[in-house]
Order: sequence, then structure tokens, then C-alpha cells
Amino acid sequence: MSDTTAQLSGDTLSNAERKTLMDVGFDDLSQRAGTSILVDRSIKLTHSVDPGVEILPLNEALKTYEFVQDLMFGLVSADANDHIRMIAADMDDPLGHFVWVKPGAKVRLPVQTFTLMETPQARQFTHDVTLIDEGAEVEMVSGAAAPSDVHRGQHISLSETYMRKGAKCRSVSMAHWGDGMEVYGYSYSHMEGGAQEESLSIALSAIRRDENNSVSTLMENATSVAQAICFAPSGTHRIMKSEIVLAGSGARSEDITRMVSAGGTITSDALLIGDAPGTQGFLGCDGLKLNKTGEIMAIPSLCARAEGSQLSHEASVGMIDSDKLNYLMASGMTEDAARDLIVQGFLSLDDAVVPDAVKARVAEMIVQAKSGGM
Amino acid sequence: MTIATPLLEVRDLCVAVGDKPVLKGISLKVAPGELHVLLGPNGSGKSSLLAAIMGLPPWRVTSGTMFLDGTPIDELSLFERAQLGIGMAFQRPPSLEGVSLNSFAKSIDAHSDLDQAAERLNLTAFLQRDLNVGFSGGEIKRWEVLKLILQDPHLALFDEPESGVDLEHVKAIGTAIQQFMARPDASGRQRAGLVITHTGLILAHVEASHAHILQNGELVHSGPPTELFQHVQSHGYSVPLAS
Repeated sequence: MSDTTAQLSGDTLSNAERKTLMDVGFDDLSQRAGTSILVDRSIKLTHSVDPGVEILPLNEALKTYEFVQDLMFGLVSADANDHIRMIAADMDDPLGHFVWVKPGAKVRLPVQTFTLMETPQARQFTHDVTLIDEGAEVEMVSGAAAPSDVHRGQHISLSETYMRKGAKCRSVSMAHWGDGMEVYGYSYSHMEGGAQEESLSIALSAIRRDENNSVSTLMENATSVAQAICFAPSGTHRIMKSEIVLAGSGARSEDITRMVSAGGTITSDALLIGDAPGTQGFLGCDGLKLNKTGEIMAIPSLCARAEGSQLSHEASVGMIDSDKLNYLMASGMTEDAARDLIVQGFLSLDDAVVPDAVKARVAEMIVQAKSGGM
Repeated sequence: MTIATPLLEVRDLCVAVGDKPVLKGISLKVAPGELHVLLGPNGSGKSSLLAAIMGLPPWRVTSGTMFLDGTPIDELSLFERAQLGIGMAFQRPPSLEGVSLNSFAKSIDAHSDLDQAAERLNLTAFLQRDLNVGFSGGEIKRWEVLKLILQDPHLALFDEPESGVDLEHVKAIGTAIQQFMARPDASGRQRAGLVITHTGLILAHVEASHAHILQNGELVHSGPPTELFQHVQSHGYSVPLAS
């Protein structure tokens, strides 16, 4: 068990850091089973109060546990592309979080991990490894952010997640980078038999370029329910590429992406592969444009390779339905209030899993986007 | 009929959708406390009249004028008319995914009234549900009445509140409408209303004061509601000979 509790005085995080992190889901350490915070090029804090959770800087975990070397680059080749090669250049001294939820652990409080970029024009390369061991159950909150005075920089991240047999994980991840930043994320996950995942990712703030690539492999009877919510104010470009492979019989997945453009561009390119009998999968891509500029492109693709694999998709992209606006305005709402309600409904932010601070932040961003403040 | 200070006055109103005229010179006065029934075949202009009063697009006033409590409303937007005190129970409202009854009520600052009003319309179990998503015909109509209770308009427009509803629910909806119309608004003013009915079933549960027959966009006859509906049942939407 990692124990850096001695570092956890109020001085460990500045007020400014706390504020930045709270926008992406940070809560007081007493409310979390474990916490890991990476700032610029070092891990600033790791802390765990639950014996079922081990949190370490990845470079330390590499030295502490022999098996960690087999998890690193276990789901993707270190040579997969230029970005991953840059991360792999520090393979023997990686920068990132290592989270291990031990076999059978039923973790009561969420585990939280955050990455902060505080230096303008920095380039940050991170590699996170998460192992949720056999039969373990955990809720995770992760966030990535830059403070409001950092506009430019580049962040490239690799995340590898292993869910062993029967593991269960519910997760929320949020990003709030600077508006001139470039972010490239690569996420790989492998779910063993019977593993269950329920995830929500939220990306709302303005950003010059945000590219996310993910590959998930689900083995026998594994299930995944994933939701992604993203917002693109003017000047923002988001590209999300995902591949879900239903590799074991009976594996099931539901992948929902909701996109809102207020002048920015969003591309969602999702591929669902049914590679084993008895698999079921669904892709849902819905896009809502708030004004005439910007672009939303939804590309759901299905590939059934095995007999009895049932895959489906739904996609819709368009402006706000004027019938809905009129209906709400006929009850006395202004057009702006009606739009806000429709957009927030579209994003389903009533979901209990979304922290209140994030819901408030979304409402604020919609208002700012309309007024041209973003 | 002679009304000194009508809550709603429609004077020689002509309305078009695109280039097509749908209302041709409608005149009508509705006093506080009155509930007027609109009868007529499909396409006669009943829903167009309510939409024009509410200010819904694409209905466009080409001539004539409308007043609410003496204030001209022709130039007011949809939202401004609602703010002034006009509310409408839609015949076929849209579904609003992700917008719950609760969040709608909060958005119009009526959340404190929601629980009690929902209980009266047997919609308590629906408060977390998305508006009109997966609702049955009867549930949609009950919600539309609940919406008006929350909105508390001075002038209430009901577009076929009983269509597609079973008899048990017609009674519940009719009773709720009657109670709503009989209760003064938050400012203590008597409400007035217009209700469209095809079946006439709602008339057994609401106290309508006047009825009108519309044909081809024109108001062709007015009279007592029960008498006029009986005529429609026997002779269709014709003008009674006595008139």
C-alpha cells in the first residue's frame, strides 16, 4: 500500500490547483479511497486509505512489482505510432499513475487520479496503467486539466487498463484543457471474462485540437456501457476514434456518444466488431448543432465476423428542433432558456454519476458559448 | 354576445400558413370566467386559431388583430405572449429527451407547485421521466394539463384534450381542466379558455359557456355548447337552421 499521507497537508495542493481540479471531479481526500495527482512532469501526490487499493507513480510501481513490466505496452505496441513512440522513449522511467485494485476488493469510496499541466507551452507525455484484479469492484474518477492561465501546450497520453475476470468498474473522466492546447490520447483496455464496465467521459472546454483514440477488447460475457459527452465551441476541433472488439462469446457493449457543436468541429468515428458468437453491441452517435457554423460528423461502423453476432447503430445530427423550442417557449421560457434546457437534456446531465460541480460547469459553458465568450 | 371587457378579443382575423389562407375573418370575444368550445371538421381552422392566438410558427397573421385584456398581442413573440398570460395544452406535443418533468418545472420557476399538482393528475411517478417520452396518449394529455397548472396562464388554450384518451382518463382530464379553470390565477384573476373537441366527451366534465362551429377557416355559428354539440351529432358541422 502506498502511503504518502505525510505529504498530504493542506500545502500539498495550492488553492489554485484545488480549484482547477475540482472542475474535473476532484474531491477531498477523505472522500476518496485513493488519490494520485500528476503535475507537469512529476507525480505530486499519491495516497490510499483503502487496503484494497494500491496507488503508485508508474516508475515506482515498475521497480516495486515485477508484473508491472508485463502490463506496460501489453495492450499496444511501443512502436504503434509516433506519439506512442515518444511516450515509450521513457519506458524505463515512465511518468504516470499506477492503480491496482486488488483481487476481490470491494472498494467503498471512489479512487481519483488527475493530470495537471501548469507550465505554458510544455509538452507532457504520460503513461497510466490500471489493473482491476479478479472479482474487484471500484468506482473511479479521473480528470485532466490546465489552469485558466495556461493556454498553450501539448499533452500526449497513453492509458492501459486491465480488468480481470469478474471485475467491475464504474468510471467518470473529465478533461478541461487550455483553449490553444493540443491533446492526443490513446486508451486501451482489456476486459476478461465476466468483467463489467460502466463509463462516462466528458470533454467540454474549448481546445485547439483534441484527438482521442481508444481500443477496447471484451472477452467472454464481459459487458461495457460507455457514454461520451463532448462540446465544441468555436475554434475547437475534436476527433474521437474508437474500436470495440467483442472477442469473447456473450460479450456485450453499448457505446453512446453525444456531441454538441457551438461552432467547433467534432468527428466521431466508431467501429464495433463482433468477433465471437452470441455477442451484442450497439453504437449510438447523436449530434446537436447550436448554430450554423461548425460541423459534426458521425461515422458508426459495424463489422460482424461471427455467427450470431448482433450489432446495430443509430446516428443523428442536426440543429435543435424548432418544435421543441416553440413548445418550451409557449410555456414562458425565453429562447435562450429553452435552448439551454434542450441542450442539457440532450447531454443527459441529470445522470446521478455526474458531479454537481460538473453540471454547473456545463450550464456555464453553454451560456458562454452562446455569448461568444469561449 | 356583449362583453364589456373581454379577456380575449379576436377581430376579423385572417391567418395563413405560407401562402395558404387558413383563417378568414374570425371574430371572437371571450370574457373572464368563460370557456368556449370550438367545433368543426378536420381542417376547418380550429387548431390554427389556437396556434395564431399563441403565436406559434408557421401560422402568420395577414390581417385583423388580437387583444389580451385590452393589450394588442399581434406583434408579440411566442415567449412574450406566454409571459403575458397565454398558455396552451398541445394536441401533439414533442418529446423532449433528457428533460424531466422536474427540470421543466424548475425552468419555469414552478417547482414548488409540482408535487401537489402531479398528485392531482396521478403523475407523481412521472416526475423523473423525460417529457412525453414513452408516454401513452392519456399520459400526454394529463401532462399537458399539469403543465398549464404549473404555468398558471390567464387564458388557457386546450387543443383536443381528450383525443386518443380512454373514458376513465377523459373524466380525470376534464375534472382537472374544470378545477383549473374555476381557480383564479396567482394574481386573483378569473381565467378564460378555448377548448377544441371532436368527440364532445370533455363537455360532460367541464362547464363550457359558449360554443362555435368553424368551417373552411370561418366561424359560421355560435351558440350554447350542449345544444350545439347535439346538433353536430345529429346533423354534422352544419349551421343550425334556426340560426
